[in-house]
Amino acid sequence: MSKLFDRFKYNGLFIKMFIIMVVSIIAVSVTTTWTTINVSERVFTETFSITNTKVINQINNNLDTFNYSIALATNKLAQSGTAREFMTEADGSSLANFRSFYAMGDVMKRINSGLDAYGIDITVAGINGRIFASSGQSPLAMTHDELMQHPLTLRSLESPRRILYQHINSKHGVPLLVATRPLSDRTTDKVYGMIFFTMTEKEFAGFYNTYTSEGNEVAVISGNGTIVSSGRKEWIGTDGRELLAYVKSMEEAGKPYMNVAIQNREHIVLSRYLSSLDYYIVNLIDKKTAIGQLTDMPSIIISVGVIVGVALIIVFLISRRLTRSLTRLVKQISTISKYEFHHKVSVGGSYETRELGLAFNGMLEELQDYVAKLVQTEKQRRNAELEALQGQINPHFLYNTLASVKFMVQHGDRERAAETINALISLLQNMIGNVSETITLSQELVNMKNYVLINHVRYGERIKMNYFIAPDCLGCHLPKLIIQPFIENAFFHGFNAKAEGHIYFMASKEADALICEVVDNGDGFDMKTDQGAENLKSSGKRQLFTGIGVRNVHERVQLLYGESYGVEINSHPGEGTRVKIRLPIIKE
Amino acid sequence: MKKMMALLLASMMLLAACSSGNSGKTDGNGGTTGGDKGNEATKVTVWAWDANFNVKAMNLAKEAYAKDHSDVNVEIVENAQNDIVQRLNTGLSSGTTKGLPNIVLIEDYRAQSFMQAYPDAFYPITKNFKASDFAEYKLGPTSVNGENYGLPFDSGVAGVYVRTDYLEQAGYKVEDLQDITWNDYIEIGKKVKETTGKDWISLDPNDMGIIRMMIQSAGSWYLTADGKSADLAGNVALKEAFEVYKNMMDANIVKIHSDWSQYVANYNNGSVASVPTGNWFTASITAAEDQKGKWAIVPFPKLAGNAKSVHASNLGGSSWYVLNVDGKEKAAEFLGATFGSNVDLYQKLITDVGAIGTYKPAAEGEAYKAPNEFFGGQNIVSDFSKWTAEIPNVNYGMHTYAVEDIIVVEMQNYLNGKSIDQVLTDAQKQADAQIK
Repeated sequence: MSKLFDRFKYNGLFIKMFIIMVVSIIAVSVTTTWTTINVSERVFTETFSITNTKVINQINNNLDTFNYSIALATNKLAQSGTAREFMTEADGSSLANFRSFYAMGDVMKRINSGLDAYGIDITVAGINGRIFASSGQSPLAMTHDELMQHPLTLRSLESPRRILYQHINSKHGVPLLVATRPLSDRTTDKVYGMIFFTMTEKEFAGFYNTYTSEGNEVAVISGNGTIVSSGRKEWIGTDGRELLAYVKSMEEAGKPYMNVAIQNREHIVLSRYLSSLDYYIVNLIDKKTAIGQLTDMPSIIISVGVIVGVALIIVFLISRRLTRSLTRLVKQISTISKYEFHHKVSVGGSYETRELGLAFNGMLEELQDYVAKLVQTEKQRRNAELEALQGQINPHFLYNTLASVKFMVQHGDRERAAETINALISLLQNMIGNVSETITLSQELVNMKNYVLINHVRYGERIKMNYFIAPDCLGCHLPKLIIQPFIENAFFHGFNAKAEGHIYFMASKEADALICEVVDNGDGFDMKTDQGAENLKSSGKRQLFTGIGVRNVHERVQLLYGESYGVEINSHPGEGTRVKIRLPIIKE
Repeated sequence: MKKMMALLLASMMLLAACSSGNSGKTDGNGGTTGGDKGNEATKVTVWAWDANFNVKAMNLAKEAYAKDHSDVNVEIVENAQNDIVQRLNTGLSSGTTKGLPNIVLIEDYRAQSFMQAYPDAFYPITKNFKASDFAEYKLGPTSVNGENYGLPFDSGVAGVYVRTDYLEQAGYKVEDLQDITWNDYIEIGKKVKETTGKDWISLDPNDMGIIRMMIQSAGSWYLTADGKSADLAGNVALKEAFEVYKNMMDANIVKIHSDWSQYVANYNNGSVASVPTGNWFTASITAAEDQKGKWAIVPFPKLAGNAKSVHASNLGGSSWYVLNVDGKEKAAEFLGATFGSNVDLYQKLITDVGAIGTYKPAAEGEAYKAPNEFFGGQNIVSDFSKWTAEIPNVNYGMHTYAVEDIIVVEMQNYLNGKSIDQVLTDAQKQADAQIK
């Protein structure tokens, strides 16, 4: 969880950038696609309406030609004496009837030739009870009486001078279109027969079938609002008044086309009124189907998806590349500030991050320089302090020593007094010189011996001092007065309980270090309790030889030679104390 | 960096998966096509006209076949006969069989013209049924060079439907009409007209079906035995048929019609007393239920002057043909198993459709023996099948309808007083000119 959070923290920039890019790419592609589809839909609708207006005109022309053929046939029949005779004469002998029918057959053949192409049947029915069907089997399938009393005829008789286009279902349920016209005597207006031009709806659909396709349907609506013919079989004979109302309102508004929802589907509607037939040709374009063909949704989605996907991959790679170096830089900087002050950041990536890395490294370097200088100064200051302390000779020491010498002189022990004075002089001489100078171990040995001598003079010789020095160490240099404070300490604190004892000084080389040890077999102390340490530290009220104490030695050694050198103290109560001083081997 | 590689790899794998997925699919299809044929239903398309007769009959066959053959899906498409003829002609003459059905119904009169014009378009089905089980006269029109291409369907066997009540009024019984010539037929008609005032027969000047029936009863046709040239001048049967036709007109016993509905109405309203026609007219006669028991069917009259003439003839009738397209084997099997051998199916055709087949073994079935109450208990189906077996076999040839048109015109001339020999000679000339 926290790992995830860390990752998010470091990649925050990348993630933000990427999300913004993703959102914008998707937004742009969706908007573009949507707009394109919209525009193409509009263009498509316009184009469709233009071409379909032409189609409707074509259908209109076809139907006009058809209507003209019907009118022509009607006129021919009306003018034919044979036909009139056929329809009016009374039945004669079989032979006479046969001739009459045959003659009528000839007339019908002639007339029908103009209508052959339409697959139409012409049936004439005379008032004399005769019927003649040009095809031999009229789709109407009605006897003379049925025909004459049929609403088709009755309606037609109401307007005897007109060709009336009507529609019925045949006895077998086949939708039919019938053009009817009464035949009447010109002078008396007496009707002597009826003509029925019958064609099945299927054949009538041939007028527009070739122009339709799925989603692009034609419906022919009669003036009273019934759908007479349509490519959609289920519409035939149904109520089309709603559609007719749309069409009429469209005509009034003078619009070339109209968008209408029919059966819950968006349709583009075009229409044309055929006054000769009293039919409306209505062209219905199902938007979804028609435009669905135009815009193949799945393939659009796939191609847009692929493009978006590729764009995202590219964006991912590029932004990743851009932010990666930055992220790495940030990661390094944050760990550096926590753990690795001396490390530098690796410089790489884009120009900006490279510069940033360089600047950071520069700053870090300067900071390190500064800190180093600060440490150096501090060291020097401390060194100077210690040196100053080292340079001071405790006046008590001098006083006590000189007082001891005075007693020796008074007692006449001149020999010893002179020896003591010599030792003091030698000691002071050594002190007064440059404190920071190093001296050889052999010189230091002399100093130690002088100091011990003075101490013996002052306090008696109950504490013995022994020296064990490896000969190859004698030439080694070491700072002045490094050993003395420990001997002093052993003298003054090591033997409070015990009355007498020994102090040993040992020097030897160990690898590349000079090891000096001051060991006593005095009281010792418990390292765990503070008492002994207290003794080590609080040397203030003691009569120290110089201002420098045991504690300062360690500090000074480390300041001079580094951390691998210094002082180590071991002590056990009743067994004595062992002080080990590690120094570098310095040979001039 | 790792993440990016992973992404790249993932997208590459996706692309690879897409492409390999496609190829895998096609492979799969290729592999299973063979199996599909076994499992998936084979579609057999049938074209036929007349929803109440042929299509209905085919539907019965489909049902009977579906019981044992769920693997064959028979689709029946109804088209007008003219449309079928037109579409077959356009399809076959263009050489593409695309959009054509597996099985098509063709009228016997036209069958030869199709088979001669498009020799390779039809699939021989000789092996799929036993030709000798079918009425002899059906085999001529449906075969070429001894190979059967059509499976005989309905019988067009003809008889004479007569009004028994009118006959009785004129002093005749049905028994008197069992063995008559056309001359006798006219005499009886005259008597009926005299006593009842009803016409004896209804004819259409533009349809010479009655002439065709007469000449076939004498084993003659408009065309020579090879079916290729017209046989009009010197055709004694045709000459006599013309004379009979004229005699009927002269006897003034003929009602004229030009429309099928009017034709049927003439009988249904009782204004005409007899109909010499094919057995399929039964349904039209029985439509007038008020005339139940007033009708009988008698054998077709003979031509008096022709020794070969028998009491049997044919009008119309059609057969099923298998087109030489994919699925022809299945289609042929289907026909063989149904119309080719299923006796029960033929019983159903009688009871449900009223169609009399030409399959001889079917005559043993019960439906064939059942009396028909409308016809006064006459076993009409059994009678019709008996006559079917007697129909003389003629070759309808390739030009029946072309000659018919000439005959119609020449008949008019004959009735108008032209001599019969001249009429037939003229007709022969025109026919020779037209069909050569």
